[in-house]
Amino acid sequence: MTVNNMADPRRPNKIFRYKPPNTETNPTLEDPTPDYMNLLGMIFSMCGLMLKLKWCAWIAVYCSFISFANSRSSEDTKQMMSSFIISDISSTQRNPQM
Amino acid sequence: MRHVVFLLPALLLLLALPDTRGRYNDDFDDGEDIAEFDDNDFAEFEDVSEDPAVDVEKEPPPRAAPSSTPIEDDEDEATVENEDGQDEFEDADAQDQDMYSKYDNEEFEGYEKTNPSFKDTLIYREVPAHLQNSWESYYMEILMVTGLLAYIMNYIIGKNKNSRLAQAWFNSHRELLESNFALVGDDGTSKEATSTGKLNQENEHIYNLWCSGRVCCEGMLIQLKFLKRQDLLNVLARMMRPACDQVQVKVTLNDEDMDTFVFAVGSRKAMARLQKEMQDLCEFCGDKPKSGAKYGIPESLAILSEMGEVTDGVMDNKMVHYLTSHADKIESIHFSDQFSGPKVMQEEGQPLKLPETKKTLLFTFNVPGMGNTSPKDMDILLPLMNMVIYSIDKVKKLRLNREGKQKADRNRARVEENFLKQTHTQRQEAAQTRREEKKRAEKERIMNEEDPDRQRRLEEAAQRREQKKLEKKQMKMKQIKVKAM
Repeated sequence: MTVNNMADPRRPNKIFRYKPPNTETNPTLEDPTPDYMNLLGMIFSMCGLMLKLKWCAWIAVYCSFISFANSRSSEDTKQMMSSFIISDISSTQRNPQM
Repeated sequence: MRHVVFLLPALLLLLALPDTRGRYNDDFDDGEDIAEFDDNDFAEFEDVSEDPAVDVEKEPPPRAAPSSTPIEDDEDEATVENEDGQDEFEDADAQDQDMYSKYDNEEFEGYEKTNPSFKDTLIYREVPAHLQNSWESYYMEILMVTGLLAYIMNYIIGKNKNSRLAQAWFNSHRELLESNFALVGDDGTSKEATSTGKLNQENEHIYNLWCSGRVCCEGMLIQLKFLKRQDLLNVLARMMRPACDQVQVKVTLNDEDMDTFVFAVGSRKAMARLQKEMQDLCEFCGDKPKSGAKYGIPESLAILSEMGEVTDGVMDNKMVHYLTSHADKIESIHFSDQFSGPKVMQEEGQPLKLPETKKTLLFTFNVPGMGNTSPKDMDILLPLMNMVIYSIDKVKKLRLNREGKQKADRNRARVEENFLKQTHTQRQEAAQTRREEKKRAEKERIMNEEDPDRQRRLEEAAQRREQKKLEKKQMKMKQIKVKAM
């Protein structure tokens, strides 16, 4: 038995399951980039739609792309797609203004 | 939420429709305008301040021209033209005749009838850029789409690179981990505790691995924190400020696996930062980081320790050898029995509980290459993992002597006392405010009482209660005095 202990440090009876770290208690661990970019994207797309400014809409598209690239895999993809759609639609409006 | 997602595009499409309808109307308007121009060829010039005679002179000849051309041209064309003229421009013709009947031919006696050369007066207006259908008018869109394509390309390339790096790291470390841990790879969702044998992908740049089932420790969480290669903005930012990939290892221990001490070693910058940020380092290691040269490790590394005995215990020959040979890759090493994470910003007026602590060993390693790493470089980190395993076994064996233990216990008691004191004042203040509120409420009730008799009685009751309290306090003071004596 002792030989086994010395040679093999593994203990199958001492297994603990993985618990994802609780981000509520440690807010510093979270990266706020995707949330900020999401919000910016929404704001710019609304601006672009209401004020008919093309450049606003293009910035919104970029913001939503950046938010998607930085997002966590656990987040809902549907929400991201909705921000994509809003900013894409507002940017494809044919407006003579720039 | 799903309904909203489907409603939003529909809403936006509805908003877009009036735009398109508007364009159709424009087309129709244009058509009508063109039709009108055929009749009033120079109607747009009517407002321009030229000789009215010249204007009028221009008008009758074109009237004459369409009427003469049917005779000259083919009969078919002529008939078509005539018919067209008759069908569409009936009203217009009638209008014109009315207009020109005003002008008497006698009026034009004396004027030389010059055939105006229409070609001279034909002005080619430039069509505005946004109505043209050429590539130039879309340069903004082309630019933006090119930028987006570049971003997407970078996303795919970066994601793949990170994925390859992670896989290379795991392949080189798999053997070592599997020989040391019963469970390698777990995402916490499966019913049975079986090794998944692969990394958890948290992000496009963060990969996790949970290992458990070993003597001397509860479990080990390895986080591969790569650079955000998938985000073009980050790539550009890194050109200004170079950064490197990091491997973070967090080993959680059972209570019996570690004695009570706090210790940290790492690069000077990291030590300075950790001492400010980390709750336990701030409380237990108050002195400035000491240079590592005293213990035989490179000058670039600094040590934070609760007491000298701990440093001597940790810094044995093998550890010194590890630290010396891999000093460039070590960002920080932190052993603590009071680990509770970074300092949490507290809200005012909230009585706190002592933060939960866990016996932990934390290792942060920098991947060499400053961002330009290739999968082959991952083998370089293998000795560091050996160091981690060695540290786990070492910490289990490391026990403080009696003095050290007493000192450590005193430190912990001191920290707890300080904490309670802080919260005590806070709790006292809270209790005081509550008492004052009660008194105020009672007074208000008494004042609001209309019946004077009842008022008097309530006031007396309040007075009696206050007196009783005072008496109790006095009794307590007397008792304390007697005990002291």
